[in-house]
Order: sequence, then C-alpha cells, then structure tokens
Amino acid sequence: MYDIFEHTADLGIRFSATTLEQAMADAGRGLFAVIAGDLGQIRPVAEEAFVVAGTDPTWLLFDWVSELHAAFELRRMLFATFTVECDATGLRATARGERYDPARHTLAHEIKAITQHELDLRRTAEGWEGRFIVDI
Amino acid sequence: MTDTTRQRGYEGPLERVDDCTWRIPKASRPGMLVDGLIFADERLLPLVKSDRAAEQVANVAFLPGIQKASLAMPDIHWGYGFCIGGVCATDPAAGGVVSPGGVGYDINCGVRLVRTNLMLDDAKPVIKQLVNQLIRDVPVGVGQGGRYVYSPDELRGMMQRGVPWLADRGLATPDDVACAEAEGCIADAVPGLVSDRALARGSDQCGTVGAGNHFIEVQVVDRIADEKAAAAFGLRAGLVCVLIHSGSRGLGYQVCDDALRALRDAPAKYGISLPDRQLVCAPVGSPEGRHYLGAMRAAANYAFCNRQLLMWQVREVFARIFGRSWESLGMTLLYDVAHNIAKFETHGVDGGQKEVCVHRKGATRAFPAGHPDVPERYRETGQPVIIPGDMGRASWVLAGGPRSLERSFGTTCHGAGRCLSRTAATKAAQGRNIAHELEQAGVIARCKSREGLAEEQPAAYKDVDVVVDVVHRAGLSTKVARLRPLGVIKG
Repeated sequence: MYDIFEHTADLGIRFSATTLEQAMADAGRGLFAVIAGDLGQIRPVAEEAFVVAGTDPTWLLFDWVSELHAAFELRRMLFATFTVECDATGLRATARGERYDPARHTLAHEIKAITQHELDLRRTAEGWEGRFIVDI
Repeated sequence: MTDTTRQRGYEGPLERVDDCTWRIPKASRPGMLVDGLIFADERLLPLVKSDRAAEQVANVAFLPGIQKASLAMPDIHWGYGFCIGGVCATDPAAGGVVSPGGVGYDINCGVRLVRTNLMLDDAKPVIKQLVNQLIRDVPVGVGQGGRYVYSPDELRGMMQRGVPWLADRGLATPDDVACAEAEGCIADAVPGLVSDRALARGSDQCGTVGAGNHFIEVQVVDRIADEKAAAAFGLRAGLVCVLIHSGSRGLGYQVCDDALRALRDAPAKYGISLPDRQLVCAPVGSPEGRHYLGAMRAAANYAFCNRQLLMWQVREVFARIFGRSWESLGMTLLYDVAHNIAKFETHGVDGGQKEVCVHRKGATRAFPAGHPDVPERYRETGQPVIIPGDMGRASWVLAGGPRSLERSFGTTCHGAGRCLSRTAATKAAQGRNIAHELEQAGVIARCKSREGLAEEQPAAYKDVDVVVDVVHRAGLSTKVARLRPLGVIKG
C-alpha cells in the first residue's frame, strides 16, 4: 500500500506492508505512480531484473528506487508490478512493464532525483513502513 | 515515524530584527553555529511559518565553517535539506564545507530574459499562433529529448567551455556570451568527473525545457519602476520579451545524485554531525569536496548551454512567425542568471575580506553597481536580476542592490516561491479549466502534461509583487521593470 503525501515543492511517497519484500514493491509502484499517474496504462509485457546490494534497509530502499528511476531516465521503461526477494546481502527483483510510448502513455511528472530528505524505512509492529521524497 | 502526510508548519522561534528581517537565534537549537535570518515582512510571515522551511534554515546553520548567518530570501519554502530560497557561505580556511544539497539536483537552474524590438500591438494578433508554434518546435515535457544530440566527447568540450563552445559552432553570438553570468562558463570545471550515466542522461537534453516549474514565457513590459536602469537594460513599457527558465536537465541531476552517493560516508569520516542527511557535505578542500565542485561546475556550464540552445530555438520560432530574421526582430539577451549554484566569491566578513563558498539554492546573485563581476555595460546600474513570478500575474527585472553585499553575500530572491503544495494545487484545480481561465485573463498557456497547469497555476505561488517589494526594501535588489505574461509553454 502506498500513498502520495504533501511537500511544498516536490512530492513524497509513503508506503507500508507486512513484509520487507512487499514494502519494496510498493515503493516501486509509488515511484511509477508519480511518473505516469495511472499505473493501469502500463502493460506487463517486458521485464527487467535488478540486483541491489546493501545491508542497511533505508539505503537499500534509496538505491532500489534510484535504479528504477534510472531505468526510466535511461531506457524509458515504465513498470507497474514487482517481484522482490530480500536477503542479508541486498535485494533481487523482477520489474514488469513496458517501454514508454508517447502514443499510448501519458506522463505526469518529471522526477529529477530521489532525495535523501526524510528518507526512512523501518520495522513496525505490523511489518515495515517507509517514505521518500522525490525532486520534481 | 512522524506523520508528514499533511504539511505541518514551523513552531520554533522567529524574532523580528526589522520590518523585513526575522531571526532564528543560534541559541535556540544546540548545534547551530550562526543565527538563521529570513527576509520577509508581515504579509509573508504566515506563509513562512506554514511549512518546514524555517526549520531547514536552522538546520543549515549546523554546517561547519558557515559565516555570518544561514540566510533565506522571501520566496522561501520547504525544500529538501536546504530550503528553497536558501543562502549559505562557508569559509574553506575555517573548515568550511561544500554541500551538494545547497545547490540542489538542478545545478545552475536559472533564467534568461530575451528582448525583442516588438511592441505589444505587434505580438497580440499572433500570440496564439506564436505559443502553438513554440510548443511544437521547442522540446518540452517529461524526459523529452531534443534535436541537439551530443557524444560524450562533445559534452565534455561543452562542459569545459560553456557557451563559447556553442559560439564556435554558430549557435551563440559574442553578445550572448557577454550577457550571461560568468560569461556562460564557470572556470575550473572538470568534465572528466561527470559519470557515464550523467552523460547518457544529458546526451539529447541540451536545448530542452523539461517539466516541473520550467517554462518559456512571452511577456510584455507593463510598468517601469526605474527609468534610468530600464534604459540601461534596454527595456521600455510595451516591449515584448521572452523569459526562459530551465537548468542542467538529467545531466545535472545525475551529477548531484552521484555526489550525494560518494559523500554518504563523508560526515563520519570528517566528524560532521548533521540534522538532515540531505545536508551531506565535505570540507571544500577535501578530495570529496574538490570532486563535487569540479563536476558541479561542468554541469553548470551544460545548463548555460541548455538555456542558450533554448533561446536559439525561440529565435527561430519568432523568425518563422514574424517572417523576419531574429536579428531584425532585435532578439538580444538581456542577461542569464543562475539560481542554483555554489561559487567562490570574496565578501566582507568580521571586518575583513574573505574568499567564501557561497551556496545559492533558489537564490540569485545580485551584485550592486560598480562590482567588477557585473558586465561593463551594466556596471553603473548593477547586475540585472530576473525574477519569474507565476504564469498569471507578473515577473520582474531588478538590479543588484546597494546592501546586497553587506546583508546577503550579494544575493536576492529567485522567484515568487510556492505557497501551495503540488497536491493542494491539484485539489484546488479540480473541476476547473486552468488554460481557459488563463486565456480569459489574456494569457495563452500550453502544457504537455495534464498535471502541469494544475500544479503550476498562479494560486500555487506567492504574489511576486510582495516578494520583490521585500528585497527592494531590504536593499538586496531594486525594482527596474514589471513584466506580465502573454503566453507560456510548460512541460
């Protein structure tokens, strides 16, 4: 589960899940919801594998969503679904979606970068919750 | 976890210094090395307190080597790390640091104002056609590439030499070079420090507007506040101008991102304690600090070139619509200023002169008359300062003010500053047709994304007339001319 929260100049993404894997997947969905608006317009016709190393959950989150952002910036990939596995060394994921097609997709925001301002991911009684703010 | 789903305001101390300056005393938070000083008046104070920007002014006061005060201009609002509108000078000789967050992701985001010899009556009959042609011909929008595509070697040449590199290729005139801050090239850039990923992001984005708050706006001078300065700047009432707002695009964003990654462990290494990880920094003279500065200057030069290529394309569109060459339309550059940058400058501190590293994050250099860094043609007037407002009301041309060096390290505001969050602005736009509302008010607006006009609507911004009034009264910059929008394109 994710939602977009208020920030004066930019936008924040907040998410919570019972497992770390689902939390990371929701973070990815939140990111592409900001970029594309409606995730429903993204068909799962292509997939990419991601491997992100790291032991600190917060930095792992940052590096993961930064890689997803780079996939859009460098290869114009839009993703809507994610399968994530986490272990002591980091994260492995498969992201499914398709390449941006101006004839079929509308885009909502240009994200300049994932900021570290108020970046957080932590364990709670119910599972995990986290947030990050993107620079628009 | 603190709930930030709704914005909370600033509840800390703000002491009145004079009718346009407010202080956050350094004694109010352990770790602050200097006071925070915010330029605002009673009209703006409720907006200053409405988000967490003032807290960020206090956070910046923790940076090692900070001089005099952590400053904020009246267009202050909540950013990431630094507030938008923030100014911070650090002394390298006193352990001063450089912080990429004090420049921001959009390195050398800035504005340039282009004059024409057209008057309002010349532009009015064709304004819709002109704006439609601009959005067709000038790349604008999310991730939009353009017609200028450069190899890594070409980009490195551009980043080393800035706008003169474009002049060698017939895409800038000597006058274009002379009328940009630092003549369109920050010295000591090290393009070799710019990563392959940054080069890839920037390969086809030089000469593109981007999205967010970036735009190209056709404007008319509607009021002259200082006849002498306006004449020196070539402005008169009724004159049509074009304002261009963009920065270093994906290349610059990536340079900042790379630097933040490289600096991740620097605070621990150098024993620096920070209240926000986005303020990550390193001593100016450290390997990490020097690395960032070299890459940041390279990205800044790319940004000057981006705005130059945007102006070049705008000139082509005007030539097409008016059926005359851009030279015969008098399309000359008034000035180009950076509002996200870190530069070494000499300023008066503690009764002496010091070379300090001035971070301007959403703030504009505003050197006064007589300063040697002001182009000779403007030296008697002061440096031109260009302040975009919003797409419905106004923008301003100011001149560097007599008290800017003494009060703000030669700095003034950079715009109106947001007063509504993007989500609040979108909510406020529901059920409305912003483009139609603007057209009723005499502004033709074309936007590539459905979100753009809603989030950037005039009501999302403070009244630029009030913001400019504060910097004028504070002596940071002085009013020269007010311009109002006729047409705008956005991403």
